[in-house]
Amino acid sequence: MDNLEIIASKSSPEIMFDASNYTLSLVGESYPENTSQFYEPVYKWVDDCIDELDDQKMVLNIELIYFNSSSSKVLMDIFDTLEDASDDGKNIVVNWIYDAENDAALEYGEEFAEDLEALTFNLVEKS
Amino acid sequence: MNSLYNHKQDLERDGIIFSFSGPMSHEIIESIGGAIRAKIGEGTDGDKKAALKVFSIFVEQVENVINYSVEKDPSDSSMSFGIVVVGKKDGLFFVSGGNRIESSKQSKLGEYLTKLAAMDKQELKIYYKERRRAGKEGDSKGAGIGFIEMARKSCEPLEFNFQKIDEKYSFFTIKISI
Repeated sequence: MDNLEIIASKSSPEIMFDASNYTLSLVGESYPENTSQFYEPVYKWVDDCIDELDDQKMVLNIELIYFNSSSSKVLMDIFDTLEDASDDGKNIVVNWIYDAENDAALEYGEEFAEDLEALTFNLVEKS
Repeated sequence: MNSLYNHKQDLERDGIIFSFSGPMSHEIIESIGGAIRAKIGEGTDGDKKAALKVFSIFVEQVENVINYSVEKDPSDSSMSFGIVVVGKKDGLFFVSGGNRIESSKQSKLGEYLTKLAAMDKQELKIYYKERRRAGKEGDSKGAGIGFIEMARKSCEPLEFNFQKIDEKYSFFTIKISI
């Protein structure tokens, strides 16, 4: 697997894949013009990463200030994929990082967490 | 020529802060949406939470116009026309959007929005989560949860209206209060 870095735009987050430690970061805002097209490389990376994992830990750090409803659905799809992989015994952690002043981001994180059981989903207040 | 003064006064009387009517695009979301967010959220009396809510409703409404308006640019069918306004009245922000639809779609959309308007916050949350995990429905072009998202953020039941244009078309308007 290769590293990949996608630079943030006004309406899309910075995306960083670090293949050496199976870490994916999404930081910024998410309301891209074509949501499924924009997230295509993320889906692919997540699938490839799950295939490669033995007992290593895969980490997703997600720090989104705002995301639209299409992005919300994409995130749920990704979390469901990770949930299935966790069910299969893979070691996967999602860190949902939010700013203490952004109630909405915390609430969205809580709602994702409510819908996931096997996947470790941490709500992390930004320090 | 006609002065725009009366038009401006009409907007002010209705508490409208921003109004855009014309071809909608992703650039409108970024530029006008960004300006609205800054205007409401910044400064000494800025309200960042309200700014984010208003912005999020604005995004969903402009995306709806882009995806569902049947009023297209004759030379570029990817360009959809509609209107979105943002205002503040009686202490509440509101975002209203409108676009032309085929009248044949009116009853289904009306039923759906009536159902959402009658749901309380807990019911909307459950429905939102259910739809978010479900596949796309019918002719939905987005995630199909934009209206639910708007209803969840609205502090009053969502309001909507259909106005007949001619035998084939109607004008759809939706208003969300924040």
